[in-house]
Amino acid sequence: MAVNGQIQVFWLAVVLLLLMVGPVRAAESGVNQQLPVRGAHAGLACADCHSGENQGGQISVCIDCHADQQGVLHEAMAHRRSEQAFAAAAFDKYDPQFFEKNCSSCHVIGCSDCHSGGAHATARPSREDCHRCHRGYFVGADYWGLAPREDSQRYQRGIDVDGEKYLKMRPDVHAEAGLDCGDCHSMASLAAGSPGKGCRDCHQPDSRIIEHRIAAHLERLECYACHAAWGAQEYGSFFLRVADNPMGDIFQVRREPGSEYLRSAYLKRQDAPPLGWNAAGRVSPIRPQFIAYYSDLRVGSKLENVLAAAQWKAYVPHTIRRGTVACDACHDDPRRFLLEAAERRIYLPDKDGMTLPSFWDSEGQTLSNGRFFTPEEFARLSRRSPEYVRSYIEKWKNLVKHVDTSSER
Amino acid sequence: MTLFARPAFLLHCRRIFSGMVLFALGLGALSLAGCDLAAEFETSCTFCHRGLEHASPAHTDCADCHGGNPRAWDKRLAHRNMHGKKNPSDPQVWEKTCGRCHPDQLARVKSTLMTTNTGMIHNIQLTWEGEDGRQYGAKSLQTFDAAGEPLELAGVKDLDHLSGELYRKFCALCHVGLESNRVWAGSHASGCAACHFPYNDNATYQGGDATVQQQWPYSETHRMASLPDNRVCLRCHNRSGRIALAYQGLNDGNNGLVPTMGGEPGPVMLGGVRNAVHIAADIHFDKGMDCIDCHTSRDLMGDGYSYRNMYHQVEIACEDCHGTPDELPHTARIDRENAEPLRESRNYAVPLEYGAEMVLTARGRMYSNVVRDEGKFWVIGKRSGKRHESKVITGTAEHDIPGHKRLECYSCHSRAVPQCFGCHTEYDQSGRMTDFIKGYETPGAFSESEDYRALYPFPLALNQRGRISPVTPGCQTFVTVRDQRGELLQEEYVARFKGRNQLRFAPFYSHNTGAKAVGCGECHSNPAFLGFGQSVLTNGEIEATLLCEKSAEKPLDGFITMSEGKTRAFSAITREESRPLNGAEVQRVLAVNLCLICHANPQDPIYAQELDYGRLER
Repeated sequence: MAVNGQIQVFWLAVVLLLLMVGPVRAAESGVNQQLPVRGAHAGLACADCHSGENQGGQISVCIDCHADQQGVLHEAMAHRRSEQAFAAAAFDKYDPQFFEKNCSSCHVIGCSDCHSGGAHATARPSREDCHRCHRGYFVGADYWGLAPREDSQRYQRGIDVDGEKYLKMRPDVHAEAGLDCGDCHSMASLAAGSPGKGCRDCHQPDSRIIEHRIAAHLERLECYACHAAWGAQEYGSFFLRVADNPMGDIFQVRREPGSEYLRSAYLKRQDAPPLGWNAAGRVSPIRPQFIAYYSDLRVGSKLENVLAAAQWKAYVPHTIRRGTVACDACHDDPRRFLLEAAERRIYLPDKDGMTLPSFWDSEGQTLSNGRFFTPEEFARLSRRSPEYVRSYIEKWKNLVKHVDTSSER
Repeated sequence: MTLFARPAFLLHCRRIFSGMVLFALGLGALSLAGCDLAAEFETSCTFCHRGLEHASPAHTDCADCHGGNPRAWDKRLAHRNMHGKKNPSDPQVWEKTCGRCHPDQLARVKSTLMTTNTGMIHNIQLTWEGEDGRQYGAKSLQTFDAAGEPLELAGVKDLDHLSGELYRKFCALCHVGLESNRVWAGSHASGCAACHFPYNDNATYQGGDATVQQQWPYSETHRMASLPDNRVCLRCHNRSGRIALAYQGLNDGNNGLVPTMGGEPGPVMLGGVRNAVHIAADIHFDKGMDCIDCHTSRDLMGDGYSYRNMYHQVEIACEDCHGTPDELPHTARIDRENAEPLRESRNYAVPLEYGAEMVLTARGRMYSNVVRDEGKFWVIGKRSGKRHESKVITGTAEHDIPGHKRLECYSCHSRAVPQCFGCHTEYDQSGRMTDFIKGYETPGAFSESEDYRALYPFPLALNQRGRISPVTPGCQTFVTVRDQRGELLQEEYVARFKGRNQLRFAPFYSHNTGAKAVGCGECHSNPAFLGFGQSVLTNGEIEATLLCEKSAEKPLDGFITMSEGKTRAFSAITREESRPLNGAEVQRVLAVNLCLICHANPQDPIYAQELDYGRLER
């Protein structure tokens, strides 16, 4: 990424400079006192890293000792294959450089992208380090209780992290308890390309909880299908290629310096996200990633509001809470399974030339790593079986009896 | 004539004036000779403003409304002493123009809320700590209050408080006393013409008079709209409650300006660089009804008395046409030749006849277009003449649920309710801004930013009628004040309201009615409808997930919290006697889920009597 790239160049220069000066002389002249080594490398001698054999730049220096962790430089954060594939499939026919122009600022090149303290103050990445890429719509910001705001300047206010403005949301229960990203996503897991700790590595379902006693829940649901309290959702991501058309200024949205594109969304929400089947065949939160539209607004061009992709993704909102939404929010809500009835539609995107009749109708949309619910599956899960009714009544009885009726206001 | 000629065209007029005078002399001679050609003689008005449409068949004499001198052939002399320049209905002159023939209407319009804006001003005073015991109007006015007692409204220009300044700089353009001509899709004339000579989106003339073709700012044509269409209402009712948008299925949600339209921001543009997208429209709109098909002239032009708020002046209710569970709509027959509906309906596509059985408004006055005919109730489109049968709910089980006696119809029958959360207003004393009442710039500029907008779900609370109604932020205002050097005097201040520093929600009918109601289970099981905002539940706890910046617990999109079973409302509901539901009411609403799981049909007989909430415990 751009900023980290600069930091990396800086460290590379420092290393090269030290190599030129020579480690022995550096030690003799007291350079090590001006560049005190803190953190994980505090116990090392200068020459452990700055020896004549280490000519290959910072990464190779690190990897000389941390060979088992170099996998991270070949995994998703580095190659970003799925994002590239998405951009190619959705946008190549309109702009073959789409990915480079819009998506290339977030990827891992070297160790210091995450270990921003550099080699002389090596530490576990801080939440700020992760946030530099896992920002905005991308999972990570949600963990700290941050949801993206609408794009127009009118809504760009409030909490600011790294130049991005956020809505204040309920943070993840693990964040409240003081856990950082690395507590679940260990170096070893990142290097192995695995997602890190799963819920059940630390928690076992407590059978005193009504929902946990329902076999179908335990068999078919990801824990976070219920326990993800909210999820950032963007409906209609418009990529407006304005280039130097001065009309672009009317949109009053943030624009990366020199970028040909503006981004503006049709609608953002941050409530309980819809559900679908993930790749493991379990019920999981899903969200648009992306329902993307391409508009070429360069002078003389006529292409606009082309539906470039209507793709959803099963994902893990990092918004875990002890509580959940009520039974009815899944069992009785077809909208949540992208099976909204036509007469229940509120937004009418097709009336404005956006092709889709409803975002909450799976017809004409895809789920990249799983599949949508079928109407039959939804009917089955909404069936009021005796077991469901019994559990439902027990659940609501508990909720109702805890309400204090003496509170007047 | 009202409409100034373009200079080039005028020169052309002048050149032929001399010829005209000779021609006129000739005509005079002919008439002396017994020919009645003088009757064909045209005035200087019609000579220059050739092609200008007549205001109406009853309004054909230019000078009757506009004054001036139709016999003068010099533009300056002809236009001298015109009433109100281009607009003879401007409040400066409306006594001698419109009011000469329509004194009753003028007397009403002078005191109507759309002229006085007493409701807007009063509510801003209440919510910006600006109440000073006086009642203000857009202008000072001697009138009568709802009880018929003399009432003096002070002019809002004398309200020397931030609340007065906010009204004058932010809100004052939307009252019929002032022309607004720089707002896309939001421009209107002043006075009677605000509604009866509509502007188009761009406030330019599109009629047949070449001297004003495409000129700004003018009404779209010179044709009087005796029955204003929906676009007229949209000119003002597109902000705040946005009812004219929601009614016709438009939503200005996030200023995203997408999808684009013809390569430009879209799809429907509104003033203030806002856009609207299409949403499901109100069922009445879908059926082809106009705003004025429900709203009586007294709702809009007033009835001669000055009301403090919109909900005091508006005389109609859903029940008027749809009945109640126990009673059919109330009616009375036209039994006087000078009955109001006969006079009012003269311009309708279908005028009424003596003896018609008229449906009555909630105040017991006759509608002029809703009748009972052969046992059915009909709304007749004032402009269209189309007959719409009004479905009556009397005797239907699903509307006769004792627990729902307190519900407004639109608590269940609203499809979407626009909600704007978090209004952050900054007052910067170093800036300047136009004071529309004073008519010039004064020190002090307001600016706004916002948190989030939503349409669904929407919270419910008790309104001024003691009934349960949708509510919407009204407003969640956070005030920041900077002095002339840019120093912060106040930051994100929450004003005192009803005795404590708190945000506010206002009872609200969004005008986005659906034939299909919100589902029983949907409302009873989702605490957002009770004002908890979006949330997750555990026993005794309702945890909001979208939070107010000033709190770790309070929802941004709600006004109640529940912790350890205790409900606590932290925002007010604005109107008198209004309030959020209390703990006992919250419990009752949630307890209905224990019934709904087996008795999902609202027509189920168990709902025909008071529910026994504890039944399953025994």
